[in-house]
Amino acid sequence: MSTNPERHVDVSALQDLKEIMESEFETLIDTFIADSTNKLEELAAAIAASDADALRKVAHSLKGSSSNICAGELSELARQLEFMGKEGTTSGAAAILQQLRGEFITVAAILQKNI
Amino acid sequence: MDTAPLTVASPEEPQETLRILIADDNDSDRLILQTIVRKEGHTVYTARDGQEAIDIFREQSPDIVLLDALMPNVDGFEAARTIKALAGDDLVPIIFLTSLRDATSLADCLAAGGLDFLSKPYNRIILQAKIKAFASMRRLHETVQRQRDEISLHNDRLIHEQEVAKQVFDNIAHPGCIDAPNIKYLLSPMAVFNGDLVLASRKPSGGMYVFLGDFTGHGLPAAIGAMPVSEIFYGMAQKGFSLQDILREINKKLKRILPVGVFCCACMYDLSFRKRSAEVWVGGLPDILVYRKKTRVIENLPSRHLPLGVVDNDRFKTETSVIPLDFGDKVFLWSDGIMEATNDRGEMFGEDRVRDVIASTPDADAIFSAIEAAVEKHAGRGEQDDDYTMVEVTMVNEEDMGEYFSDRGKSFLAGGPKDWSMTYELRPQTLREFNPLPLITHLLMEVPGLRPHSGKIYTILSELYSNALEHGVLGLQSDLKASADGFARYYLERTKKLSDLYAGSVKFHIDHHPVKDGGVLTIVVEDTGPGFDFKAREQASHKKEGYSGRGIPLIRTMCRSVRYLEPGNKVEVVFDWHVDV
Repeated sequence: MSTNPERHVDVSALQDLKEIMESEFETLIDTFIADSTNKLEELAAAIAASDADALRKVAHSLKGSSSNICAGELSELARQLEFMGKEGTTSGAAAILQQLRGEFITVAAILQKNI
Repeated sequence: MDTAPLTVASPEEPQETLRILIADDNDSDRLILQTIVRKEGHTVYTARDGQEAIDIFREQSPDIVLLDALMPNVDGFEAARTIKALAGDDLVPIIFLTSLRDATSLADCLAAGGLDFLSKPYNRIILQAKIKAFASMRRLHETVQRQRDEISLHNDRLIHEQEVAKQVFDNIAHPGCIDAPNIKYLLSPMAVFNGDLVLASRKPSGGMYVFLGDFTGHGLPAAIGAMPVSEIFYGMAQKGFSLQDILREINKKLKRILPVGVFCCACMYDLSFRKRSAEVWVGGLPDILVYRKKTRVIENLPSRHLPLGVVDNDRFKTETSVIPLDFGDKVFLWSDGIMEATNDRGEMFGEDRVRDVIASTPDADAIFSAIEAAVEKHAGRGEQDDDYTMVEVTMVNEEDMGEYFSDRGKSFLAGGPKDWSMTYELRPQTLREFNPLPLITHLLMEVPGLRPHSGKIYTILSELYSNALEHGVLGLQSDLKASADGFARYYLERTKKLSDLYAGSVKFHIDHHPVKDGGVLTIVVEDTGPGFDFKAREQASHKKEGYSGRGIPLIRTMCRSVRYLEPGNKVEVVFDWHVDV
């Protein structure tokens, strides 16, 4: 991977988290990736159904969990989707979801590398 | 010593283990939080939504709840409200887990009962600090709650004890005949705890005593003194003791038992229906007012004495004022509560206002309630919190008291020894060392109704006894006492002869039998002396009275008869007495 991991994940914070979690760290990463994969599908479904409230809720949850896993950029994209949902709109959300999907793949790869 | 300690105690205080509920629908967030909290040494319960959180709370009642705001099914706000309701009075700190930022959402968290927020991403140090802060807040709350419960328990107990105490006080400090038709009074039901006391008793000789006392202070300390005062008052009043005797006894008792600075301002009122007068003693209370019905003139009787319980009995004064009273005349006694009742401008009610009320109330029988109404209007207080104590005693014709005293009067003469006789012989050793007069007097005072005559009876007994002992048994010549010089010699000789006494005796024979409203007391005193020519002496005593010979003529004025019996070593006195109704 050619991109600088620091742009996607706060690696030193992730190391701290790893120390705290100890043996649970791997479970955490697996849980996060599985959970987020589900959320991406839910986001796509919400946008397809133009359900702004569902968009807001799922994006809010993803914003929180990605911030906890030290993935700042992913959290920021989720925040943008949450904001749209709160504004009551889903238009333009698909483009951001596309961006978010790419970011998630990058983050997941970095996380798995850090296990 | 060759052994070293294996472990060194940590300087830090031991970590308190708390039970913490974490509710978050996001698996990875929950996993992180749970791991951090567990590493701090706490016990963790986890829930995936609000409903689970409520269920676990119900089962485990954890110490702290960490609650995600947005959760499926029941959300965090709803769960917080339910948990708070379940916790009741207990403080269960709820910390919202949220990445919400806008003020409205945060306000919703607070409104639902949240005390703080923890935002994502989680920071271990902040989390630690919050858990610690809320743990100590919870402990503080528990302490306050426990103390509140204890205070409430103590308060309940105090109220219960006051109720019991009041019952005891009411039994002992019962108002006696305060409900007599010629008395009006105002006394708060809890007056005893204000230190106020009103007692009234009928005298065996007719008439009545009224006592108004105001102890310094409030509450139980003020109430304590009421018990002995009441006991002494009723005990002595019913036995016919004088106002002076009763006051002295109360003063002595209070001086002995009350701490310094606690005393009883009081007045005592002795009303005689027959003599149409009253005797009054006032110590430390506001002026008593006497209202003349015919002239509507008001007279003051100021306090002339220290309150009860201040000075020892040797400095205690019992001088009274005697006031003649006509039918319908009224006397007002009060504690300072009436006079010192203040209005919202801080002005005391005062005697001038009392006089104004009396002056503007032509109907004498309406004065009492007019004063009461005026004080309450002045102070602007309800009847609930008053500590006004006031008594009005009206001089009436005793017949106008109707049935009130007719039954009670009899009961004063009921019980007690009325029909008896006794012989009491005193032999030399007793004559040398013992004065029998107080004992015999005490015995006689058990005769119901005889108490008011104790002075006369003591005079009779002491005259007869000293004659029998000194002239009869010791053989002293009363002629000696004719001069001042001889008087002293007489007593020197008396002391000497008494200490050398080894033979002889004095014998009392006392007989009492009751008659209607009184009795006949016969006292015979006999000595072992040779007797004397009492016929000659009686004739002589009509002519001259020196230092000697005063006693028997005085006794004659008190009794039905005084008779010497041959050979002159025996004298008989018959004393008639009647209840003074």
